[in-house]
Amino acid sequence: MRVGIPRGLLYQYYYPFWKTFFEELKVEIIVSSPTTKEIVNKGIEFSVPEICVPMKVYTGHVEQIIDKVDYVFIPRMVSISDKEYFCPKFMGLPDMIKYTVPGALNKILSPKIKSDSDSIANPKFYGELKSRLGISTWDLHRALKKADKAWNNFRALSKKGYILTDALDIFEGKKVPSKEPTFKDGEVTIGILGYVYDIYDPFISMDITDKLKELNVNVLTFEMLEDQAIKDSIKFMHKKLFWTFSNKLLGAGYHFYQNPKVDGIIQVTAFNCGPDSMIGKMLELESNHFEKPFMTVRIDEHTGESHLQTRVEAFIDMIRRKKMAGGVSRESNLSPYGLNTSI
Amino acid sequence: MDKVYLGIDVGSVSTNVVAIDENNRVLSKQYIRTNGQPLESVKTGIKKLKNDIDGKYKVAGVGTTGSGRQLVGIMIGADVIKNEITAHATATINYVPSANTIFEIGGQDSKIIFLDKGLITDFAMNTVCAAGTGSFLDHQAERLGIPIQQFGDYALRAQRKVRIAGRCTVFAESDMISKQQFGFSKEEIINGLCEALVRNYINNLGRGKKIRPPYVFQGGVAANAGIRAAFEKELGEQVTVPEYFDVMGALGSAILSKEYVEHTGHTTKFRGFEAADIEFTPSSFECSGCSNLCEVIKVEINGETAAMWGDKCAKWTNSVKSI
Ligand code: SF4
Ligand code: SF4
Repeated sequence: MRVGIPRGLLYQYYYPFWKTFFEELKVEIIVSSPTTKEIVNKGIEFSVPEICVPMKVYTGHVEQIIDKVDYVFIPRMVSISDKEYFCPKFMGLPDMIKYTVPGALNKILSPKIKSDSDSIANPKFYGELKSRLGISTWDLHRALKKADKAWNNFRALSKKGYILTDALDIFEGKKVPSKEPTFKDGEVTIGILGYVYDIYDPFISMDITDKLKELNVNVLTFEMLEDQAIKDSIKFMHKKLFWTFSNKLLGAGYHFYQNPKVDGIIQVTAFNCGPDSMIGKMLELESNHFEKPFMTVRIDEHTGESHLQTRVEAFIDMIRRKKMAGGVSRESNLSPYGLNTSI
Repeated sequence: MDKVYLGIDVGSVSTNVVAIDENNRVLSKQYIRTNGQPLESVKTGIKKLKNDIDGKYKVAGVGTTGSGRQLVGIMIGADVIKNEITAHATATINYVPSANTIFEIGGQDSKIIFLDKGLITDFAMNTVCAAGTGSFLDHQAERLGIPIQQFGDYALRAQRKVRIAGRCTVFAESDMISKQQFGFSKEEIINGLCEALVRNYINNLGRGKKIRPPYVFQGGVAANAGIRAAFEKELGEQVTVPEYFDVMGALGSAILSKEYVEHTGHTTKFRGFEAADIEFTPSSFECSGCSNLCEVIKVEINGETAAMWGDKCAKWTNSVKSI
């Protein structure tokens, strides 16, 4: 038996859980390749037209592996926080895939995840798997427990400051945890706001974190923060947003504004994302109040890489020059000239 | 010999080359149409500039900017390769130190840059929509049969006001045609177009931002007095067009190269004016290393690979660095 896991959407957040889970059940898994142009094109071909880019990309990933597996694992993500929900597109995702990707109709495993926390290990979500994969209740419980533990270890890496891609590499044993990530003193620190499936998909974000690292910038993302810190920073709001991950981003955004270490915020958003246009506007309006620069980078299937490069460079230059003018010592590695002739 | 600093701005429409002295005074400025051949246009620009300054000055630093900045930076031996926002603002801060807002409208794109006490505080760029750029005006001038150079004067002669929908080039064009049929004169139509462009620009780029005077208007389109007047009318304030409005990007990169050389004490990497005669061969190929099928750009100098980029995995880029 083979189960496919598309490398899109929440893959970057829950893969360690899913992988451990299926391995414990002795089910072979097949993960689609990192996003390529071909996957994007297939995704566009096989998804409903007006949907956001990450959903299109995900569809392409499903298409890539559908013929090689008995099932594709597409959990129906409903909630991972009390009274908050996933963006509606997530809730409808299994159905959408079922009818748009050829061959997917009877192959989708979609346990319904309706949790009150980020932990998704409650056995009651996974009843459907027992009959379809032929596993006992006891096996299910044991596998979930293991998976939850692996996932918590992985989350701990993020909170130590590892960039998510590094944390995943460490989880997979591809990389040994070197000395813990440290922040370069005196350098520019940027808070990046965006869903894991935007920021860590090399195609969607055009490797924005790498671009920033090349510019010698420290990067902070929401998954490095403690859940409580995120929640606390939007406590003042009379009403939360409906969407879980959007709330996390909004909370992280306020946290970045309040954290004196953070010099500026870059929001990475995909074209056609409803929730993001909301949090983007809210945070943009706060930018003046906190006197911290905020920039939105909106990416669609046609965004040119050089345009992104120009904007990111200009943003970092702006902050670096301001920092220098603010009396940061010239000895520290601050070069307002950035990457000179190296390209 | 006195020192000069060169600045080169390679855009898709024009290539500008300037030389400044140590006090940022402009010694030479060249404006060349790019015509899809950035390397050729830079060579032409450099040769012309050489006539103005060679023998009298020594090149102490070179900066490049614009969409072709990397390719040209390699060819020429640039000390600083810088994005357009920083380059433009650097020039403005030097020549109009009091500026708080920069409107930059070029042939293919437009930007707005917000400054405070000589530092950039915010910016926005538009590269997708043609409605707010010079190419849109060029196109309309052609349609109306008026040389673009006279566009501004026509606008200023308008007697009546006419509102043209400027949201999008397609609408603007059809709206213009119908207004013409209503009997508005060419002057009035052109004035309406200028106002539409400005409205569109401010709505797109300035949305939700505080636009504070003093205003500076630069980029090729700043030559158009009609647009400038439309800005002034829309904002109710004077708008300054700096003397070298059409080469501000190039000036900024020259200034940046000067600051860099002075700050680091490095000697320039400039390959000399002979660089204009070296054969640079840019080419591109589609890598089949994986299904990303990147379009990789390669530049060769005398048959040797000097630089490569465009690959997502950096395997080509790095292959050159290790040589
Ligand atoms: S939150 Fe935005 S990007 Fe994510 S699935 Fe919903 S619409 Fe798409
Ligand atoms: S350059 Fe790298 S990422 Fe691009 S196609 Fe070749 S191997 Fe793939």
